[in-house]
Amino acid sequence: MTRGAASAIAAVFYRDLRQRMTNVGFVFWDLLAPLAYLALFGLGFERMMGGALLIDGRPLDYSAFLLPGVLAMVSFSVAMNTSWGFFMDKDSGIFHELLTYPITRTQLIVGKIAFNVVLSLLGAALVVALGAAALGVPVEPRTVPLAALVVAASTAAWFFVFSAFAIAVRRMDSFNAVTSAAYVLLMFFSSMFYPLGGMPDWFRWIASANPMTWQVDLLRWSVLGLGAPARLLGEAAALALFTAAGLGFAVRALDRAGD
Amino acid sequence: MSFYVPRGAIFGLLGPNGAGKSTLVRILSTLTVPSSGRAAVLGHDVRAEPLEARRRLAVVLQQTAAETLLTVRDNLLVYARLHGLDRRTAAARAQAVAEEFGLEERLADTVQDLSIGTKRRIQVAKIFMLEAPVIILDEATTGMDPMMKRRTLERLRAEARKGRTILLTTQVLSEAEELCDSILILHRGRTMAAGTLAELRRRAAHVFRVRLTFARVEDDLGARLQALAPAELELSGASAELVFHGEEVALLEKLAVLARSSPILEFEVRRATLEEVFVNLVSAQ
Repeated sequence: MTRGAASAIAAVFYRDLRQRMTNVGFVFWDLLAPLAYLALFGLGFERMMGGALLIDGRPLDYSAFLLPGVLAMVSFSVAMNTSWGFFMDKDSGIFHELLTYPITRTQLIVGKIAFNVVLSLLGAALVVALGAAALGVPVEPRTVPLAALVVAASTAAWFFVFSAFAIAVRRMDSFNAVTSAAYVLLMFFSSMFYPLGGMPDWFRWIASANPMTWQVDLLRWSVLGLGAPARLLGEAAALALFTAAGLGFAVRALDRAGD
Repeated sequence: MSFYVPRGAIFGLLGPNGAGKSTLVRILSTLTVPSSGRAAVLGHDVRAEPLEARRRLAVVLQQTAAETLLTVRDNLLVYARLHGLDRRTAAARAQAVAEEFGLEERLADTVQDLSIGTKRRIQVAKIFMLEAPVIILDEATTGMDPMMKRRTLERLRAEARKGRTILLTTQVLSEAEELCDSILILHRGRTMAAGTLAELRRRAAHVFRVRLTFARVEDDLGARLQALAPAELELSGASAELVFHGEEVALLEKLAVLARSSPILEFEVRRATLEEVFVNLVSAQ
């Protein structure tokens, strides 16, 4: 990467940081909503089930099972909320002006994603800290960097996809309707809240094609050591492809945005 | 359409709504890819080398654009950083530009709480943070108060003297008349007229606007004025405003004949303004 490109990406990062810091409410929601999910859903379901789950022959509390799902939720929420910012930029008129600045479309997207990744990693660290300290989740410290990598890649993937959509559609209500539906469907048709082993075939088939499942499975392996390596390799490759395709869509949408 | 703007010139793009001024600005600022033809900024083709073209540009688009969630200071700093200025230079220029554009008291205010005029001022002030050799302004002074507009026009003139090239679109023809070295009049995406202000005025060299004040109001004054065959006539009491097409000598002879029967207290004959040239050309289409 050239110095000019790094400087352009840093400038976009700086812009997003300044924007985000003007409204602490955004940051609070991004970081604390997943913590609330983990604390309330985790404890609530754990009490309701009255005992540990048996996953791959290993007994596991529901809070521990849910924690990787909540990490996935962090990256998904940060990506969705930040991509919504494109509508703010369109409303204020700055969006088109940004496209006349001496930065490439790719640098613009990468600068934005860099900020998102930092925010996601911060949220993920809070979730892991809460899970380990307050809920007794057996987090393996050696695999934390791997979990961080999956969180970063997933945040990038979701941000690219949502950004491409936010740039392409004109109406904010259309964006909100689609992303709200996606939020519910992608989370519930995945391995986020329940093991897929006991689900009907049709459900497992849908879940296996869902990027959220790939992300949750990879996180569950990196945090708890659960999962079959062959399947996980396939999911990692699929997630990498999904991320690259998302970047392509986002840059293409920006290229067409001026027309 | 084909045109070339020399370095250091102030070039005006005029035309009615829908003429294609903003489309042209969007092509030159690399926002819109031209479907055919070629456009270049300081030799850099906007389609083949959009980044190189953008590196030489500072653009104010028609829509008021400002970072609404940020403070005025952050608007200036973020803009400078996105154009490659280092932190120290950006901070120094932000202070200078804020003082020049009367924004120093507003630096800590969030932009969403400010008036449209102030937002416009921020948008225009931003371009003076940079030393980009080409400035493109799409109706940039719209919504500005007269004092600020004057200051902006003076600053633009000073920047052109320093060698920066300025391309502006405006519907305020007096602004173009005052500022531009040369002008292109567009209509429905095509060049209707182009040249310096003097050249454009020559196109309407045989159009005269005459203002007359008579010593008294006579019943047949209207008929006598109509007999002079003006292109336009507006009569109000003892005052009349007429537009004539033709030779100046013939016009003065007609007025002299009229003055013998209807004494004239005051008269003023002047050539067409840019606005009249513009209206004339557009109406002819």
